[in-house]
Amino acid sequence: MSTLLCLAEALAASASLIWLVPLLPFIAAVIIGLRLAAGVAGDDAEPATVAVARGAALGVLVLLSAIVLGALGATVPGLVSHGEWMDVQGIQVPISFTVDTLSLSVACVVAFIGWATLHFAAAYLHREPGFHRFFLGLCLLLAGMLLLVLAGNAVVAFVGWELCGISSWMLIGFADERPTATGNALFGFITNRIGDAGFLLGIGLSFWWLGSVEWSTVAAGDIPETVKARLLALGFVTAALAKSAQLPFTPWIARALEGPTPSSAVYYGAVMVHAGVYLLLRCEPLLLQVPDMMAALALAGAATAIHAWLCGRVQTDVKTALLYATVSHVGLMVMACGLGWFALAHVYLLLHALWRGYQFLLAPSYLQLAPSRPAPLPQWLAGNAFLYTAALQRFWIDRVAHGLLTRPTLTLGRDVREFDDQVLDRLIGAPREATQSAKEGRAEPVQGNGVAGRALLRLSDLLQGFETRLVLEGEGGAAARLLHRLGVALKAIEALLEQPRYLMLMVMATFVVII
Amino acid sequence: MHPADDNSSSLHERVAAWVRHLEHVLPAQAPIRNFVHHNTLHGLQHLTFPAALAEAARISGARPWLDEVQSRALHAAGRIDDSDLNAALDELRLDGGAGLAGLDECLPGFPALRRRDVLRALLTHDTCPPGPAKQQWLQDEGRLDTALWAACACLEEIPATAAGAVDGALASLLEAIYPQTPQVAAWQQEARMLWSALVARVGSEWTLSSLLLRLTGENVFDTVRPLLIRHLSSHLDLGMAAWHNPARGQGFYAAWRQSAGVDLGWELDELVAARDEIAALPTDPVETIGRELMHLGPSEAHWGDYLERLALELPGWSGMFLWRDQHPQYAGSDVPVAMADYLAVRLVLERLHCEDLVRRTWALPLFLSELGDHFLAHPAELWVRHAFFAGLLEEAPASEAQRLIAAEQAADAEWQRLANAAARTPVVSKNARWSCYLLAQALALSPAALQAAGREGADALLAETRRLDSHQRGYVWLLAYERHYRQQIFAALAANHGRSRENQAPAAQLVFCMDDREEGTRRHLEEINPAVETFGAAGFFGVPMYWRGMDDTMPTALCPVVVTPANEVCEHADDAAGLALHQRRRALRLAWKERLHRATRDSLLAGPLMTLLGAPLAAGAMALQTLAPAWLGERLERWRSAFDQSPATHAAVSVPADGAAKEPAGTSPRAGFSDSEQIERVAGFLRSIGLTERFAPLIVIVGHGSNSANNPHLAAYDCGACSGRHGGPNARVFAVMANRPEIRAGVAAHGIVIPDATWFLGAEHNTGDESITWYDTAVLPPTHQAAFASLCKDFDEATQRHAIERCRRFASAPHNPSADDARRHLVGRRHDWSQARPELGHATVAVAFIGRRSMSRGAFFDRRSFLISYDPLADAAGHVLEATLLAAGPVGAGIALEYYFSTVDNERFGCGTKIMHNLAGLMGVMEGASSDLRTGLPRQMIEIHEAMRLLVVIEQTREVVTAIYARQPPLRELIGNGWIIVAVKEPESGAIHRFDPAAGWLPWRPDDGAASSAVPGVPVAANSAAWLGAHREPLPPALLEVPA
Repeated sequence: MSTLLCLAEALAASASLIWLVPLLPFIAAVIIGLRLAAGVAGDDAEPATVAVARGAALGVLVLLSAIVLGALGATVPGLVSHGEWMDVQGIQVPISFTVDTLSLSVACVVAFIGWATLHFAAAYLHREPGFHRFFLGLCLLLAGMLLLVLAGNAVVAFVGWELCGISSWMLIGFADERPTATGNALFGFITNRIGDAGFLLGIGLSFWWLGSVEWSTVAAGDIPETVKARLLALGFVTAALAKSAQLPFTPWIARALEGPTPSSAVYYGAVMVHAGVYLLLRCEPLLLQVPDMMAALALAGAATAIHAWLCGRVQTDVKTALLYATVSHVGLMVMACGLGWFALAHVYLLLHALWRGYQFLLAPSYLQLAPSRPAPLPQWLAGNAFLYTAALQRFWIDRVAHGLLTRPTLTLGRDVREFDDQVLDRLIGAPREATQSAKEGRAEPVQGNGVAGRALLRLSDLLQGFETRLVLEGEGGAAARLLHRLGVALKAIEALLEQPRYLMLMVMATFVVII
Repeated sequence: MHPADDNSSSLHERVAAWVRHLEHVLPAQAPIRNFVHHNTLHGLQHLTFPAALAEAARISGARPWLDEVQSRALHAAGRIDDSDLNAALDELRLDGGAGLAGLDECLPGFPALRRRDVLRALLTHDTCPPGPAKQQWLQDEGRLDTALWAACACLEEIPATAAGAVDGALASLLEAIYPQTPQVAAWQQEARMLWSALVARVGSEWTLSSLLLRLTGENVFDTVRPLLIRHLSSHLDLGMAAWHNPARGQGFYAAWRQSAGVDLGWELDELVAARDEIAALPTDPVETIGRELMHLGPSEAHWGDYLERLALELPGWSGMFLWRDQHPQYAGSDVPVAMADYLAVRLVLERLHCEDLVRRTWALPLFLSELGDHFLAHPAELWVRHAFFAGLLEEAPASEAQRLIAAEQAADAEWQRLANAAARTPVVSKNARWSCYLLAQALALSPAALQAAGREGADALLAETRRLDSHQRGYVWLLAYERHYRQQIFAALAANHGRSRENQAPAAQLVFCMDDREEGTRRHLEEINPAVETFGAAGFFGVPMYWRGMDDTMPTALCPVVVTPANEVCEHADDAAGLALHQRRRALRLAWKERLHRATRDSLLAGPLMTLLGAPLAAGAMALQTLAPAWLGERLERWRSAFDQSPATHAAVSVPADGAAKEPAGTSPRAGFSDSEQIERVAGFLRSIGLTERFAPLIVIVGHGSNSANNPHLAAYDCGACSGRHGGPNARVFAVMANRPEIRAGVAAHGIVIPDATWFLGAEHNTGDESITWYDTAVLPPTHQAAFASLCKDFDEATQRHAIERCRRFASAPHNPSADDARRHLVGRRHDWSQARPELGHATVAVAFIGRRSMSRGAFFDRRSFLISYDPLADAAGHVLEATLLAAGPVGAGIALEYYFSTVDNERFGCGTKIMHNLAGLMGVMEGASSDLRTGLPRQMIEIHEAMRLLVVIEQTREVVTAIYARQPPLRELIGNGWIIVAVKEPESGAIHRFDPAAGWLPWRPDDGAASSAVPGVPVAANSAAWLGAHREPLPPALLEVPA
């Protein structure tokens, strides 16, 4: 009996290890990243990567099971805090985790699907050039999702949120030799920035108005002023709609199917697409305070469900067809949230994730699974050429977005460039003028215009002299060799940075530090 | 007749002719559930092999030869040696290879250097000059052999273009544009020539969008592709979508017009007038084709080429459209599919978007003449734009050019200034010196020797570097690669001649499919029980039929794709009550499965409910799949059959009593085979495989098929002779026929007396997990039970050993597995959802033997040979051989060539990696959600394939084969054009001759030149297992010391 009690105690105590849950896949990602940087390749390198990733996922599963068992015996601990992360003008951001029914159940499903998918990918991606990159991405997603789900406050959740976004972008662009894939990866990434802006808005307002970013405070949203509550909710709702590809953000997800089958399954079928719904569930008390926001949610969810259903009717490829089915069902969940049926949305999220993940993984054998023709639509719908065209063109949403966002941005870019050429270059001595000056037979290779330009020119002369004396005429050219070696190292770093994924990682790292 | 009518009718004819021509250039792959191997370049089969490959490279930009780096690796690994290369060079010379005369002469200035050695060094070493940056680096870093480098100095004076090492297309363009180093004054002249040169390529080589791409960097096709694919895929869809264009029944052009006419996307893309234009289009697609071509502006002589270019921008979808055009009513579809519809839509889209691009860029209407006038006035702009997008500008001018191109309005003066500045950049090339230097290094020439040879010698060396073009190089490598393996095969055949004796009282005879995957099974079976005899034949066993299994809703043709069966055979349950129960149960199970998979996708209301039901099952399935795929797979199969309760069945082979009088009506098949048909089939088949006497008590006909989970290319692993289906029913039907006393009596009248003590049995071998299904064992006479039990034991043992043999080629299989481990591994592969390589298919095929089994029995051929049984002694006139060649030749060639092309350029000829594949319209796979339909084989299927043509060795005299060759045009095409290599082994003497289309029969000699009966160099091993050892790489043939 006493051993049983001991076990129960140990299980109950396991909740304090909750921080390990997102950390394990993150460590796996770091290890795989390091191996990737070390240049591992070939058949022999695959088992180690798989073992690391699957080991982490299994560890997460075991740990979560222990916590759940512990929680079954006693009550859920609610909040587990692990010290301060930062302290900004008296507002503390602790590293805290929420351990409740919602977070544990979703985390278990995420971990289970992650574990199964990692296993699936081990054989499926054998000998792919991006094998290790794929596992890196999937581990990052797992870490991000678990962090997001288990986070005790909005800031920690946002870190997880971003990790998901980055890994999603990595894997849409998995086939980086195909321009369509990389272009769509970028499209998804940019659309998700809008959601991130919403999330950041929510965090900022929480700091400002509530003095805390803990979910317990934020989600409770104990703000008497409805306007403030509405604005706060708006931030999180925007984030949720973007991540879960609800209207008007749906187009990005339809273009996200460029990755390998298992990543389509785990991101757009099973796991990440539900992150937005999870956020809504987390914010339940806050949402309940603003009925008009709830109504808007219900409307967005219903509209998405119908939109995706209509689009799904015309899809002729299995992945897009399943994707629209997913989006329409997620739309139903969002609608349920809007109607206040949060418990229903919660249960449905869990079951839908499992089923859809399974269905996506089996997408290649759709021909064998459902060989008969689908039931025909009612004639009033099937015969409507305009509605058919609208569904086929996905109601033109992405092209409207293109017109509203991309084109103005490009024009802006061109203007900035003009400004750069016409004003800034003149100010600092434009290299562009070099061709002209050379034509006119000037001796100097570079001519400085303006004060700053002349100053730069002087400096460059000085450096030139230094270089000539020290490097080129130096005894044995030791400095030259040293510089050469340094140059090689810098080149290597630059080459890494030139690849967008590393650049983005750096940017994100900076981002996290700033927060 | 009105002249206009005349005109339009001739246009109709011309369009029809162009569409017919497209058959030669577009992939001809059927929808994926009917995947059957065929020659990827089937449309070019009328050309000789090298010519067809060069043509394919020209029209598709693919590389039809193995990558030279890989060839060099094969050379380094000893899979190709110098004697092979020498022989290949000789063969190329015989083929009329230009400039290959005098291979054994010495190079001027080098008394010890034969041209052959130079050419070989050029093949086995990379002598392409490095890029300018690397050249500089090599020189600066002191990585050069300075003495040798200095000795090459005399070549510095050669003009840059003479080095000829630049990429072919670019070089010719460069030469056209820059006769010499560009000069300031010259660019204006060049610009004027440039425009006419560019325009001349529109139609013959380019579409208008390709031209615009080269001037604006914007690819119109990138915009058109997703729009077009949505419509195309919806029109061709075979049952994925529930909602299709309401006007689908009127054809693609009409349907597209209706949908595009209400598409708001035109306005969003700022193509404001497009909708009106679409409304004003002629209703006749052919008329539209004529109008649009006129507008787009290629010269009328090139209209057909222009359409070909357009179709080739999306070869997979175009090919599928054409295939459906040629196969109306495929799978019961009543959707009209006409290629002209597709071309008309494609042209309209091309024109609308090109028009938009030209308007946005130059504010001009879309007319080549207007553009020409513009560039006549602004030559600098043309020159800069072209040079920039062709990558000819250096960094500084390139960034300036980019700025000008991006700017909304750039003054002519700016273009001119840039052109002046950029054109002056001198192009200095040391390529000639580099080529010479690298070649000298490869030949290990001393600086002194090079110096001594002087300028003349260096020029001679350089001349050799230009001797072979890229196609000839690829061909030489292929010839050498094929020869190396061929020598080993011939040596093994010669050494094996006369080794195996005929067994006068065989214990059992098994007839397998000719499939290379059965070679291993047969070898092991014969090793285990020397009293067993095996045969091979095309896997429909001479019984072309429609088969309707007990659970099938539609009959399936089980025969080669080129044959249309006249008879239909149904599988009937023995007991009606059992059948009713089975059908109820099965319908229930399928309905729920369908409901789960469909409703969760199709329905907003039932979907959530079904999801709630399905989720626990899905979670369980995922967990078990992850932990124990084989266990789950086998358990599911067992549960399924336990639930379905399949009753015992029989195949209704004969014409039903009441239907005897019914004659075949039109194309609809007749139920069952009449007795005379059955006699004909059985006797004909037995004669064709040479089984006319010495019948064993038990004769098993073994069809084959393969099962795998989660695999869109499922059909590619099945029996090619049964249209990519399982061949078990054919085996079963044949056995039933041959067991009928009436039939045996009739067969005896043909001179084939089957003793009463002989019993035929049908079976199906699963090449995936090595399992076997025996048919109709319930009616096996008691007298044969013992023999059957013993055969089952042998067969089981053989598949165990074969499983071990197969595991060596799987990277994830255990090393040196036990028989149990090996079998378990194969079962796991078959059931594993995540397994992209459930089995390796025909990946190892290289050779086909047509002759008695004694030819190859007792030798190890590494699962690389088709084995087709044929008795040469009973076929002096060659009629049996003729039929066999006509049936098996194209099938074998199709398989080998599809593997060849998918291997050499998997991106263009194959379908890339499986992991991105997305099943589209139930007819093919795309990458992602809006790519071309991918045809050919996925990368996972060809990884271990050795790309060479099929070598067919026929056991027959040269005279008989020559006569057949002379009277059969299809064989003349296949053999005479070099799509397969044919050799004969004389039945009596065992002498081997290879057929060369140009030179005739060439006697084979082993590599050391000694023409003797004792063939050296063929290894001998105790048995297969001993020869396999722990090797995982392809193994050469060997003789096995088994009692034969």
